[in-house]
Amino acid sequence: MKIPRTTLFLFLLPSLALIFIFGVYPVAYNIFLSLKDVNLISYIRGTAKDVGSLNYRTVLNDSLFWRALYNTIVFTLLSIALQMVVGFLLALLFNYEFPLKGFLQALVMIPWVMPIMVSGSFFRWFLNDNGFLNNLLASLNWIREPVRWITSEKTVIYSLTAVNVWLGIPFNFILLYTGMQQIPEELYESADIDGAAGWQKVLYITLPMLRPVIVATFILGCILTFKVFDLVWIVTRGGPGGASHLLSTFSYSLAFDRFQFGKSAAVLVLMQIIVILFVGFSNRIRLEER
Amino acid sequence: MKKQRGWKWSALVALVVALVVSPLYFIAIGGFMSTEEIFHKPPYLFPPAPSLSYYRDALLTLLPYIKNSFIIAFGTLLLTLLVSLPAPFVMTKFRFELKGAVSFLFAFVQMLPYTAVIIPLFLMFTRIKLIDSHFGVMLALSVFLAPFAIIILRSYMVSVPSGLIEAALIDGAGYFKIFTSIVLPLSAPGIASVSILVFLLAWGNFIVPLAFIKAETMRPLSIGLYVFIGQYGVEWNKLMAGSMIYTIPPLAVALLAGKSIVAGLTAGAFKE
Repeated sequence: MKIPRTTLFLFLLPSLALIFIFGVYPVAYNIFLSLKDVNLISYIRGTAKDVGSLNYRTVLNDSLFWRALYNTIVFTLLSIALQMVVGFLLALLFNYEFPLKGFLQALVMIPWVMPIMVSGSFFRWFLNDNGFLNNLLASLNWIREPVRWITSEKTVIYSLTAVNVWLGIPFNFILLYTGMQQIPEELYESADIDGAAGWQKVLYITLPMLRPVIVATFILGCILTFKVFDLVWIVTRGGPGGASHLLSTFSYSLAFDRFQFGKSAAVLVLMQIIVILFVGFSNRIRLEER
Repeated sequence: MKKQRGWKWSALVALVVALVVSPLYFIAIGGFMSTEEIFHKPPYLFPPAPSLSYYRDALLTLLPYIKNSFIIAFGTLLLTLLVSLPAPFVMTKFRFELKGAVSFLFAFVQMLPYTAVIIPLFLMFTRIKLIDSHFGVMLALSVFLAPFAIIILRSYMVSVPSGLIEAALIDGAGYFKIFTSIVLPLSAPGIASVSILVFLLAWGNFIVPLAFIKAETMRPLSIGLYVFIGQYGVEWNKLMAGSMIYTIPPLAVALLAGKSIVAGLTAGAFKE
């Protein structure tokens, strides 16, 4: 169907205006900011000087930046791998009809609906040196000294990854479970006739049939996990000593703890480049899937 | 037909699900315990001497923040629906050049890291005096939620029969009339799903108020809970009681409208 141009424009205007003014423009503005020596005062007075590539050079020479980049990669890939495994196993459990199924399925969504400030604060207590987990392990005599889950530079990013896996269970479960519902029941029935074992059906029917859904879930998971900011900010604020910074929290702390908006913008531009590269890469995967 | 399993299977699944939702349980009972009890070794699985006073104190402290959270969540919902309802109608039902570009734009904005938008927006908002304003928070949230809503709504509006729209056009109905009296009513389930998701995401969002709200009286619950995280230590029992209060609305929505949440999430995810 055709639609007159003016009408079309009027229908698109509200969303496009919002997104251009408050989404696209700020993101483009980062490039401008990243080339200036911007702090809050020089920004308000309009006296920020051009510094060329200085912000980029400073950031790339900062070991905290590389730590944050490394953390972001580890956090993203590890989270997604584990989330998908847990979500898949949970989906297998739900792939039957049984009493109370609807209620139990609604409960699985709880980690997704809980506000992040709530789950973040909980895990800050749970993983504390004298928190729930250490108290439990010590009472069971499994440990003598408290494990420094979130206070040691070595373990902190893995502890946060584990928490993020928990946060991602509902989303991965729902997508993989919905995908499983699309697999024709006859495939399983004929496998039953051939005498296939349960794990064989999973390996030779469920997994291959689920492939497009798994790819889609993986790509969405990468995008969502790359965005994570709040979990780390609430549980550790990037500490101890910057050991748990992701690129998102690193850029935020440059801007709001140290008021170095120029350097922060340089990090943001680098993040935007990673997103664009990833989107191009994921589009190629999607095309190959077709 | 799917295979039937009995109560034994339910019990097994319930055990796994209990493990997944256990944090909520420990938050709920933490609100009934003293701080010493919360850190007791071995940890209590039930409050040994439950007291309602922490819940009461938390509720009294949080009342203004609860109000702010509702203002922000409903305001964001209204703004997001207002800007995102019209676009998916023309995008699914009509052909035009640049359609691909428009779709790409929505997908791109949805993928942006929050900080990449929020930090420059903070500078913009400082200049146009939208810091410490609920409207500023609603605007920033809508930037992230509108593309999300549009992508979900698209998958619902595409199934409105095109024949119906053509017939209405032949009868001389205007595009706006068709939109309000045919397309919107027929996409009601989708709009309901989107509304629930947008409400939940706006209610739970942390980073936008963190960056844009400094004034104590304007804070929503997400950053309002920081009143219990003082300079000299955390009042864990009140923090947990407050956390539980903050979680009740989304929890109620999840239990009452779980199906809509699932439908919306999957519709958003599997649209190309």
